Amino acid sequence: MTQGNEPYIALSGIKKAYRIGGEMIPIFSGLDLTIPRGDFVAVMGPSGSGKSTLLNMLAGIDRPDGGTLRIGTSHLDQMGEAARAAWRAHNMGIVFQFYNLLPMLTAAENVELPLLLKPLTRKERRLRVERVLDLVGLSGREKQYPALMSGGQQQRVGIARAIVSDPGLLLCDEPTGDLDRKSADEVLEMLRFLNRQLEKTIIMVTHDPQAALYARRTLHLDKGDFIEEKRAA
Amino acid sequence: MTFFDLARKNAWRKPLRTVLLMISIAVAFLIYGLTASFLNGTQGAAGASDDLLGVTSASGRTQPLPIAAMSRITADLDVAAAGYVARLRGFVDVEKNFVAVSAADPGLLMAVNGKELGLTPALIDAIGQARDKVLVGRALAEAQGWIAGQRVTVTAFDMSRQDGSRDWRFEIAGIFEGENAATDTYFMIARYDYVNAARVRGKDTVDAFVVRPRAGVSPGELAARIDTLFSNSATPTRTQSERQFLEAFLRQYADIGLIVNLVVGAAFVTLLMIVVNTMVFAVRERTFEIGVLKTLGFSRLDIVALILGETLFVFAVGGGIGLALAKLAATFAGPALGLVFSTPVLVKALAIIAALGLATGVLPAFNAMRIPIITAFRTR
Ligand SMILES: Nc1ncnc2c1ncn2[C@@H]1O[C@H](COP(=O)(O)OP(=O)(O)OP(=O)(O)O)[C@@H](O)[C@H]1O
Ligand SMILES: [Mg+2]
Repeated sequence: MTQGNEPYIALSGIKKAYRIGGEMIPIFSGLDLTIPRGDFVAVMGPSGSGKSTLLNMLAGIDRPDGGTLRIGTSHLDQMGEAARAAWRAHNMGIVFQFYNLLPMLTAAENVELPLLLKPLTRKERRLRVERVLDLVGLSGREKQYPALMSGGQQQRVGIARAIVSDPGLLLCDEPTGDLDRKSADEVLEMLRFLNRQLEKTIIMVTHDPQAALYARRTLHLDKGDFIEEKRAA
Repeated sequence: MTFFDLARKNAWRKPLRTVLLMISIAVAFLIYGLTASFLNGTQGAAGASDDLLGVTSASGRTQPLPIAAMSRITADLDVAAAGYVARLRGFVDVEKNFVAVSAADPGLLMAVNGKELGLTPALIDAIGQARDKVLVGRALAEAQGWIAGQRVTVTAFDMSRQDGSRDWRFEIAGIFEGENAATDTYFMIARYDYVNAARVRGKDTVDAFVVRPRAGVSPGELAARIDTLFSNSATPTRTQSERQFLEAFLRQYADIGLIVNLVVGAAFVTLLMIVVNTMVFAVRERTFEIGVLKTLGFSRLDIVALILGETLFVFAVGGGIGLALAKLAATFAGPALGLVFSTPVLVKALAIIAALGLATGVLPAFNAMRIPIITAFRTR
């Protein structure tokens, strides 16, 4: 556990550049960011500004070229691949724009996937899956395949999969980018519930200003740095 | 759901592809099961015992040994029982219809080799009734359609009778069954006293002695001792285990085992390439999803296990079907075709299934393991 005054997530001096056509294009050159536990942050910004890159580094699937990245007590910038995989399995859930469910698995099986990495019995896994599917309002659809579900339903399966291991951190990359307004609002309502009631820390990349309103605060990413949006209370 | 269920579901994503793979694997293992059972059954060597010794002339298997050597062999205290055999090779009716007659002392043969051949006191009694009685092996009797009580004439290739003819007339006293299906019973047993008295040349010689060592005695050491005993005699001997003897005997014609192994080996190598190729593509198609799994926390090892599980599953189902068919064929057509699907054949086949299942998964698994998540995500 982090101390009360120490932020849950701390990035400092993050550098990241991509080689594009033989030239190194810097995305971040010295990014600093802290996020307290229990926050719900919306990240906005123009296309190509590095929002996904930031999320990938937070998820431990991409590494900064320089700087330090700590989440809780884990220094992700110093951890090897195996350690980061294990860290992901226990500490982080991720929600994708296009859901990324496995087509040959039912809703329940998709949700169960992360639990295969945990020392749980078959029965314990089933109970947990039932509980989160119920939480996202999909009980009764356990045996349905993703192809037969609406986008909103698929994304709720995606959220159930992200929270089934009970991680403290939820990363969402445009979770409503592919949904109509009504489904989007349902999903966002759910994320707000997870943040308010279950105290998940959520970082959500979005292009939709409406979606950003569900967050506690919004950060605008531009030219490798953040500007915090001032919001009327 | 378990890890293995996940691997299995992955395999069934393209049912046609998986079924075709399983069929090729099944066919390969059906062929393997049949050829292995055939070698096992017909080559006799499988049914041959390792602790029976065959003593033949050191100058060649067709050179005779004096029957008098018998007493020197039985004088060795490590010999539990010994018998002798003179071979009469000939044909019945037409020259192609080859039959082998082993002329022996039935009582001694029973003591040495009775259990393996399936000789019973009743059979020994029956052959003792008259000098021209013979016992016919089950395989030979069935092939010729012979029954007990029937008279048969064997025309010898080289063993003439004193009356100038080469036709040996016998009366079938009984059929011996062999200990199990692997026992070679494609021959008949005649009485040495009768054959020896009637033949012109080679009187009082035998083609081989058969020796059973006492329990606990090393057959190899006894064999060496017997050969030393005769090394300075007029007829030096060469003593081998019955299995070695049979294998060497068969090899004189052609190393059928080697040829079959080469053919089956080539089939397996082809199979390996087909499955590796198919799996490499199957896994490449799933690169994005492997990225998703890694994002959820699946480690490199988990991914490797998943893909090896998938190839093992495909091989287990395909191989299982092939072996089941081979077993079926051996059960129903085994006695007629000489197929013996024994436990060693099965164990070896299962080992090959496991080895191929793992080998075919290694390359695709390695590929999948190495892809960085970021790269995997850029494939869509
Ligand atoms: N693996 C990579 N290799 C090379 N360049 C990359 C790689 N990943 C991202 N980039 C580049 O880095 C920049 C930032 O990409 P990123 O995906 O983080 O942007 P984004 O803010 O998420 O944009 P969008 O809103 O379109 O999703 C882009 O110019 C992109 O082309
Ligand atoms: Mg993006």
